[in-house]
Amino acid sequence: MAIQTPESSNASKLDNTASSATFNKPNSTYNHSSQNTLIARLAKRSIFRNTRRTLLTVLLISCSLAAILFTDAFVRGMVETMVKISTQTFLGEGQIHRFGFREANDIDLYIEDTTALYQQLNATKAIQAFAPRVLTGAMTSSSENVASAIVYGVDAAKEAKVSKLKLAVTQGDYLSGIDGEIIIGEQLADLLEISLGDRVVITVSEANGGVLSQALFRVSGLFSFNERSMDIGMAFINLSQGQQLLNITGVHEVALRLQHLQQAADNTLPFWQTLNNDHIETLSWQELVPQLSSMLAMTKYSTLIVSIIMYVLVCLGLINTMFMSIFERQTEFGILLAIGTRSKQLFYQIMLEGFFIGLLSVTVGLLMAFVLCYWGSIVGIDYSELEMSGLTLNEPIYLILDASSFAIMGIATLVVTLIASVYPAFHAARLQPSFAMRKTL
Amino acid sequence: MTTQVDITDVTNKVRASQNTVIETTHLSREFGQGDTLVKALTDANITIERGEFTAIIGPSGSGKSTLLQLIGGLDNPSSGDVFLDKKNINRMTGTELSDFRRDHIGFIFQAYNLIPVLSARENIEYIMLLQGVPTVERDKRVDKLMHAVGLEGLGDRRPAELSGGQQQRVAVARAMVSKPSIILADEPTANLDSKTGADLLDMMKELNTKQNMTFVFSTHDPKIMERAKRIISLVDGCIVDDERRS
Repeated sequence: MAIQTPESSNASKLDNTASSATFNKPNSTYNHSSQNTLIARLAKRSIFRNTRRTLLTVLLISCSLAAILFTDAFVRGMVETMVKISTQTFLGEGQIHRFGFREANDIDLYIEDTTALYQQLNATKAIQAFAPRVLTGAMTSSSENVASAIVYGVDAAKEAKVSKLKLAVTQGDYLSGIDGEIIIGEQLADLLEISLGDRVVITVSEANGGVLSQALFRVSGLFSFNERSMDIGMAFINLSQGQQLLNITGVHEVALRLQHLQQAADNTLPFWQTLNNDHIETLSWQELVPQLSSMLAMTKYSTLIVSIIMYVLVCLGLINTMFMSIFERQTEFGILLAIGTRSKQLFYQIMLEGFFIGLLSVTVGLLMAFVLCYWGSIVGIDYSELEMSGLTLNEPIYLILDASSFAIMGIATLVVTLIASVYPAFHAARLQPSFAMRKTL
Repeated sequence: MTTQVDITDVTNKVRASQNTVIETTHLSREFGQGDTLVKALTDANITIERGEFTAIIGPSGSGKSTLLQLIGGLDNPSSGDVFLDKKNINRMTGTELSDFRRDHIGFIFQAYNLIPVLSARENIEYIMLLQGVPTVERDKRVDKLMHAVGLEGLGDRRPAELSGGQQQRVAVARAMVSKPSIILADEPTANLDSKTGADLLDMMKELNTKQNMTFVFSTHDPKIMERAKRIISLVDGCIVDDERRS
């Protein structure tokens, strides 16, 4: 006979609760919403069961994501800085030449009808400014020494809008348009053992005949681009005098400054077609210096490589965490399975835990990356005096935040965490209750 | 010295009964192979009627837990079959078996085995959530069960905040909430003090009596043995005695 205790008498109150103990018919229409809520609740609480471990995992993933995005922003910034240095120093974002000039360096191949060309360039909205130039290899002589250099004849006003020649003048004055003035690189000046105000004789071969032509110049300024090949091998005179020296009326080269740097890469823009005809060719900086273009393309791959390495580490870290968590909770999974949780539901629970960890990590990682990259975009990272592929990074690299990168990398991280969760989830779902609960039942 | 009693004839006679809720036929479970082969259970034939309060007893390692696991579909037998309400659970797919356990079997474990991240109330309603029981019905059943097991006011506490006895009451409520026809209890009083254990057993006994719920215990506890209507004794994986009490 059962002893009547307060608890046992309470049991009689179940009369209406658990009716006769017959087999229940399973509910044919499962309330999926309540099941999903239950699985989500379990997953959410489970990830904070071992807060320290979860936070460390979140830190690992978010730091990796932040590092990837920082690298991406840095590479973007570096690419843009290098392109700017390359194009805005002197090259221009595009150049126009007579066909064959670039290959042969033949001073006879100059653009004759400059009036029509200038009108066309002025009418092209995509072109912000242009600078006509004549150029030739020359012998520069001082009273002390002789050196070879490329002498450019430039339109002082127009050149200042396209290149940094005016800004590169370190001593004396920039060209003013007066005949007889010349600005030369600091290192060339050292070689010729001259300084401001000293005389220099330029000797060139005239176009269309090769007759030697000489002119006397007085050094009005010295420049430095922080680029040895330019500082030791270039000299600038006024365009009109350059044309006189070469005995031509046209120009060899027209450097272009575009409204936007990106227009140089978009060869579908109409002006690239209209500025190319039977006589002249117009090329973007990518075509003018393909080695730089290739190097930058390779630099972009480095982001991909860093991303892959980071994601592999993230995967391994997360799998390790998930497995540690699963082994700790093996008994609990056994119970869940024993009391009727389907393997599929357990699988979803673990996947959801991975998703929550991923979501948390992505949120933290994006925030960290934003703060870091924003700081880098304002302050810049100083790489001055570092030479890379023949370019001296003479200005800081400002990081470039790219919203699409943040979105893509964020989603990719979430996908990676889900992929990393599949194996642990599959392992948990395949547990046999009796094995999982071996220590208890 | 123990001798195995051949109870096959008795079992066969009972098998035809409409009241049979558990039936095992030639049930065996072996672990390992070759030299390390261990026969945890050998040729167990048991028939349990609806509403029986049965205790499976035996020394440690005699196969009690293995038998309970096999009856509950938590493990696969090496040979033989388990029929629950005439359904062979060994022929079920994983999902069918999960659903069957959820709807027809209640488990009570020695170590309580509640879900630590869920509150007492959530632990009890877990199975009903899996079953898709509507919220109103769910709340009603949980309230009544919590009252019945004497846990009113403790619903929001996590298992770690409850005493052993209170945790086991939650486990009992969880086992019963889906109105299962069978409750399998593995040494449910082993971790409880004698007073709490006795109270809990009385509560289960009353449920058994009033609701005709079938209880199968594996136990060493004399308190369970004295309340059981039937005692099945196991030694070295073999059933050696099957005693029915009036």
